[in-house]
Amino acid sequence: MNIDITDVTRRFGRTRAVAGVTMSAGPGVLGLLGPNGAGKTSLLRMLATVIPPTSGRIRLLERDPGVAAQRRAIRRRLGYVPQHLGYYPSFTVVEFVEYFALLKEVPAAQVPRAVATAVERVGLGDKARARMRTLSGGMLRRAGIAQAIVNDPELLLLDEPTAGLDPEQRVAFRGLLRDLGQTATVVVSTHLVEDVGAACAQVALMDGGRIVFHGTPQELTARGEGRTAAGDAPLERGYSTVLAEARS
Amino acid sequence: MTRLVHLHLASRRVPAALAALAGCAIVLWAALHRHWDAYGALQLPLLFETACASVVAIATASPFGDPERVTGHRLPWLRMATAVTLTIAAAAVLAATGIGTDLAGGTTTAVRNLAGLTGLGLLCAALLGGALAWIAPVAYALLGVYALYTQWHGPALTSPCIWPGRPGDDLGGALCSGIVLCAGLVAIAIRGARDTPPPAG
Repeated sequence: MNIDITDVTRRFGRTRAVAGVTMSAGPGVLGLLGPNGAGKTSLLRMLATVIPPTSGRIRLLERDPGVAAQRRAIRRRLGYVPQHLGYYPSFTVVEFVEYFALLKEVPAAQVPRAVATAVERVGLGDKARARMRTLSGGMLRRAGIAQAIVNDPELLLLDEPTAGLDPEQRVAFRGLLRDLGQTATVVVSTHLVEDVGAACAQVALMDGGRIVFHGTPQELTARGEGRTAAGDAPLERGYSTVLAEARS
Repeated sequence: MTRLVHLHLASRRVPAALAALAGCAIVLWAALHRHWDAYGALQLPLLFETACASVVAIATASPFGDPERVTGHRLPWLRMATAVTLTIAAAAVLAATGIGTDLAGGTTTAVRNLAGLTGLGLLCAALLGGALAWIAPVAYALLGVYALYTQWHGPALTSPCIWPGRPGDDLGGALCSGIVLCAGLVAIAIRGARDTPPPAG
């Protein structure tokens, strides 16, 4: 399993953002759904080795991120796109992605090709020489995804990656997700239930810091059948049903 | 590796920082050609040393946030190299202002003060973030200005921890300043400047 976490919690002062999550995932696309404040971003940041858990055990790519040498090995094979992407405005798209390729220790001889491939995969080939400050919100999201995949990661963590993408870009992005999920474990945090239905083989639903559902999108849909829960689509009704049950 | 260093320095706005350091040195050099009373002559360099230290500390701010933090082992060395390079550049330009002028305390005092103030700035950057890294050097400079004032109006502040009030050849002041610089460099290499929290929503 590329992700294997047991009873993980994370506190920020008195707030318990993640409250005992146990989960495992192998290659494929896992959608992480949940309302605002459910703990999705905190869980992703722990999986990205940005913050350590307050308690519990995390193993990523068969390694322990709590051990410095193993954490370095994980990070070489990791891609991460946070909710709010930071960038240096004067970099071109290529420079932005190249900087991350070099930091992630992609062999120097392979960097130009790796950068070009990543930029093409996110559909920014025609903007490769454009400055980051000139890009639209959707293009910036795609540049962020390019830096995350430039090292061909085995574990890819995406926090709200489709925010700011137009419908056409979202459809293309789902295709990219499915493609990446062929070899890597991809965890996608999102509010958009339809993205999960279209691109994810597995879905985990978080609420109040806990995972209240883990299964396939079809299983989540089935939970809403015959119910009067809110939602315009079957998957949304399943989502609402599970949340209502978890809170009752 | 050269390409990585180039991109890292660009992302930290090092060229702009170097220009700011040069600007500080030119203004100080011009100011030192004017006539100052004893207070002003002693305190003026400290203000510019503080400005230079603040420039070095502010340049530690990363525009990239978490994705950069979770890359390989090269980042701490890049942070350290950037801070050391800028500190050396700041020391060089301050030393240059002493050429043909009467820099109070001489070059040794200026470099010692700069080193300690830079260390404070780097510690502040690690704790509060690059944008607020100037707070510690400025606060400490106010204490230093007061320490210099007490040389005329006692009781004089003579602790080595307040190194601006000590003579340039004082070992205790130099040690304190050096320790603070080393602490700042280690903190900024390992932790980096604290990231500004993203906007809510």
